[in-house]
Amino acid sequence: MPATQVQAPERAKISVKDLNFYYGKFHALKNINLEIPEHKVTAFIGPSGCGKSTLLRTFNRMFELYPEQRAEGTIALDGEDLLTSKQDVALIRAKVGMVFQKPTPFPMSIYDNIAFGVKLFENLSASEMDDRVEWALKKAALWTEVRDKLQQSGSGLSGGQQQRLCIARGIAIKPEVLLLDEPCSALDPISTAKIEELIAELKNEYTVVIVTHNMQQAARCSDYTAYMYLGDLIEFGATEQMFFKPKRKETEDYITGRFG
Amino acid sequence: MTMSTAQRLLAQKQLAEVRAARFASRKRVNQVALTLSLAAMAFGVFWLIWILWETLRLGLGGLAIATFTQMTPPPNEAGGILNAIFGSLVMVAIATFVGTPIGVMAGIYLAEYNPKGWLSRVTRFVNDILLSAPSIVIGLFVYAVIVARFKSFSGIAGAVALALIVIPVVIRTTENMLQLIPPGLREAAYALGTPKWKVISSITLRAARSGVVTGVLLAVARISGETAPLLFTALNNQFWTSDVTQPMASLPVTIFKFAMSPYENWQQLAWAGVFLITVAVLALNILARVVTRSKH
Amino acid sequence: MSTTLEGAPAREHDVSSTFPAPAGALDLAAERARVSRAEPPPAKVPRSGPLADRLFGLAAKSAALLTLALLIGILVSLVMGAWPAIEKYGLGFLTRSVWDPVQEDFGGLVMIYGTLATSAIALVIAVPVSFGIALFLTELSPAWLKRPLGTAIELLAAVPSIVYGMWGLLVFGPILSTYVQQPLQKLLAGVPYLGALVSGPPVGIGILSAGIILAIMIIPFIASVMRDVFEVTPALLKESAYGLGSTTWEVVSKVVLPYTKAGVIGGIMLGLGRALGETMAVTFVIGNMNQLNSLSVFEAANSITSALANEFAEAGAGLHQAALMYLGLVLFFITFVVLSLSKLLLQRMQKSEGAKA
Repeated sequence: MPATQVQAPERAKISVKDLNFYYGKFHALKNINLEIPEHKVTAFIGPSGCGKSTLLRTFNRMFELYPEQRAEGTIALDGEDLLTSKQDVALIRAKVGMVFQKPTPFPMSIYDNIAFGVKLFENLSASEMDDRVEWALKKAALWTEVRDKLQQSGSGLSGGQQQRLCIARGIAIKPEVLLLDEPCSALDPISTAKIEELIAELKNEYTVVIVTHNMQQAARCSDYTAYMYLGDLIEFGATEQMFFKPKRKETEDYITGRFG
Repeated sequence: MTMSTAQRLLAQKQLAEVRAARFASRKRVNQVALTLSLAAMAFGVFWLIWILWETLRLGLGGLAIATFTQMTPPPNEAGGILNAIFGSLVMVAIATFVGTPIGVMAGIYLAEYNPKGWLSRVTRFVNDILLSAPSIVIGLFVYAVIVARFKSFSGIAGAVALALIVIPVVIRTTENMLQLIPPGLREAAYALGTPKWKVISSITLRAARSGVVTGVLLAVARISGETAPLLFTALNNQFWTSDVTQPMASLPVTIFKFAMSPYENWQQLAWAGVFLITVAVLALNILARVVTRSKH
Repeated sequence: MSTTLEGAPAREHDVSSTFPAPAGALDLAAERARVSRAEPPPAKVPRSGPLADRLFGLAAKSAALLTLALLIGILVSLVMGAWPAIEKYGLGFLTRSVWDPVQEDFGGLVMIYGTLATSAIALVIAVPVSFGIALFLTELSPAWLKRPLGTAIELLAAVPSIVYGMWGLLVFGPILSTYVQQPLQKLLAGVPYLGALVSGPPVGIGILSAGIILAIMIIPFIASVMRDVFEVTPALLKESAYGLGSTTWEVVSKVVLPYTKAGVIGGIMLGLGRALGETMAVTFVIGNMNQLNSLSVFEAANSITSALANEFAEAGAGLHQAALMYLGLVLFFITFVVLSLSKLLLQRMQKSEGAKA
């Protein structure tokens, strides 16, 4: 049965058409059709193994690092198909940033962590770089906590701070889309709350897609939600509507906790 | 700072152009680096193939029945390297039989008795150093302790020197293999009331058996080709002897003497010897791999 | 070694300290249980308890102590053997370049220089090549090629050094002479410093030859360690770098290398340790001349290991032998320091792995 979708009125930043994904012979994503609205937060929810992370990782072609993984179909970013684009994948990834489940600070200072991506793509003077680092850290709500220790190693921060560092690092190169793969799963509740606040801010400038196994988080943070199960997209719609009156029984069963 | 849509789109476009401009040179650097990496890989494989090829070619060319049936000859006379082959076999065998039990027991100590204690930590450290230490220094040590004491070079001294090289290799592999055995296996044996020594010998060691055997094979492969420790322990002997208290010929030392000489028949015998050693060492290595893989 | 139906051990024995069994209590309980079930007494099984355990443990401990004793023994015997030379020359031995067995006057500078120079050349060649190989094996190689190539590199490590030595002398040397040394000499003739560096007889032996062959020998060691530490870099860290739009080279050079820094240096020091102590590969091609005529890398020279290999057996007891032992002691000391550093660095890499995991 095809997915039940309520289209968002906003312009579609990412348009997924007939996407199929394979891990070797295993058919992990089945005929996904989905539109991610611009400047909104879209959440992917579903039980373990439903393919939400897999779908997220197609948006920045992260799967290409692993030869046995392949994708078929179309993923259009602003109308241009990501999968067959002639642009080098590095340039695509500059537009579509990602934050991972565990904080991954690089083995260098906080400053260098943020500057890392910027140095790859732009030729900024020292003062311009300082400004960019400050801007990114402010956007990630980390500036006040680290402004005096920018030269210290990134791994000296707490888990929540490290994750905000990774978010700052991703923002610094000015992407258009931010993909967050269960960004709070390794964090304590206070850090989680801080990051959720951050997400609400970020959608003003970026299109945010977040994968979460925590339904309450999806309900709190997102504008739109996609519910997936065993590689299929079951339902997509405005978060409020999906959580109060889901159109599909499968969605309702999941949301009310009838299975996990 | 909020921008209008048009402003934002323009900024994005400009940024994309900046990125693309830099990217060309980044891509070039990447390609150069990856090409060099491929070249390095080819470089490594090339030497291996060349060395093995020449050894094969020149070694096979020097082989004859006589090689296996006659003793080392004087220069410019026909002969073989039987005494050298025999001497090598004897000394390697003694070294293996002496060194393996010691190495296995020490490995057992490190893995099963107080692995975090100071003795284990120090022993592990020292062992790793001995593993990579210059083998000629081992020869000097055995010279001072045995040869000088008994005032004579001997096959036994050579075998002892080789044993001292076997021990660190076997310790390392035995400890590693024992550590891989899950603690649940030991606990099950203890729960049955097995005494510790029996848990180790009948259960744990048996489970790690193939890994330990691999370690011994690798040690044998290593000492088969070792020359330096034999140079002033077993010395050399141009005649046949089966008396281990006398200097004994060995393949590596004979090769050394013959290859550095200007005599062509000697050089040919040296190639034959090198060929035999290489075949033996590679065969042992491949056998070790087969043993490890068949376990899994 | 049976258990009763209730699961309690049927007999009591002194299991090791990890599982202390209260002596006697279990026996009594088992007896009572048995009597209440009206079973016949268990057959007498010979106890192989405390004595065997103690002996076995002692044997294991002694074997471990033997390793320590070996290290100390080596050190002591080297010092004792070198004592006449240490007494006579002190540390000045390390800077004297005379080596005259007839007049009984010795100094180790030539050999020490030879050892250090050949090892340095070996490292200069081997480190970049090993890095390239490790990079290839971890990032570039298709999956089906990884195992055979990895095996090929390991086989290179298994080839005995005497094979390298002989091949170096009889196959590689002449080729080096014709295709590298002679053209280089013609090219750099008259150039101030570089010309002097390549001025010796271009016959395929000397420090350069020995250095190149050493390089080939240590490449597999360094490459294996580098590959191993590259492989334990967390995938998430690499993905983060790729996710920011880095190329493969950028990920490896800017993220993986800094992350594996300690392990990489540890691996390089391991290779250095091996190069310093290598005997046969060097002895065949270094030329065995106890003189330092010039700085040319084409010139025949000597290393500590090749001096020992060539002269020790004939050097009767006396100052000559003591001087050689002194060289052996110096070599042992240098390799001990290098290998200890290597081990400490590799341990540090492992520890930080454990902390982050």
